[in-house]
Amino acid sequence: MPAKYLEAEVRREAGVAVIELRGEIDAFAEEALAVAYEEAEAGNPETILLDFEGVDYINSTGIALIVGLLAKARAAKKRLVACNLSDHYVEIFNITRLSDFMGVYPDRISALSEASTP
Amino acid sequence: MTAYGRPDHGGGPRVLTEFSLPSEPGNERRVADDVAGAVESLGLAPDRMERLKTAVAEATMNAMEHGNGYRPEVPVVVEVISSGRELLIRITDLGGSPVPVPDPEVPDLSAKLEGLQTPRGWGLFLIQNMVDEMNITGDRDHHTVELVMHLEEGSKGGEDASQVSGS
Repeated sequence: MPAKYLEAEVRREAGVAVIELRGEIDAFAEEALAVAYEEAEAGNPETILLDFEGVDYINSTGIALIVGLLAKARAAKKRLVACNLSDHYVEIFNITRLSDFMGVYPDRISALSEASTP
Repeated sequence: MTAYGRPDHGGGPRVLTEFSLPSEPGNERRVADDVAGAVESLGLAPDRMERLKTAVAEATMNAMEHGNGYRPEVPVVVEVISSGRELLIRITDLGGSPVPVPDPEVPDLSAKLEGLQTPRGWGLFLIQNMVDEMNITGDRDHHTVELVMHLEEGSKGGEDASQVSGS
């Protein structure tokens, strides 16, 4: 099975920087994630949303990369939230306690709605 | 630890597949998919199948990285065995480094976020949470991580075991 390298595209919606993710979040994803996060942060948004709709695989290294982004966001006093995780990865976010530190929403509409609430 | 030589409900362990792959980044997904294909007939619930695939991928990654040092010429060997009540997946590296010992401490996300722990270190923790049992054995030449999933009443593996028992 050929690896599906991560593609990350940044959009701005309702004052939120949305990072649309497609592919796999593993060791190969580090650079794409870092570049996208930097671009998202450049607009100084209060909230950065990771949209996992196009992601079909996250491994332990990918979890570590997300932990790194969360640490950056917290240091910059920004909210990092997530949406469109599959049930399996919601479970992994719960087990790792990532969901205790970042809002996890079923879809982008609910995430954006919550993000626009002060 | 499971006793593999012992027949289970009259049905002995059955090797569903056995294969090896080079230690190359990305091959963990191939192993997870091949294992999933091999156990498809056992009828694991979809959520348990997803957990199994994650555990297999993580264990394979550990074997390739920590055991074999990502040397492609050193293979990872995978065995998938059904014993009626249990599904066993054994993943063996041949790298000769020390046997990885599971960290008894739960990774502390708060500490990781504060920079007091490395962001990494989730692999064994994930495996332990994805399967019903994990055993690590080995010697100076190889290490085997054994993943155990109990086959549920509703799964075909469990039904097979009952049929053998009742016959």
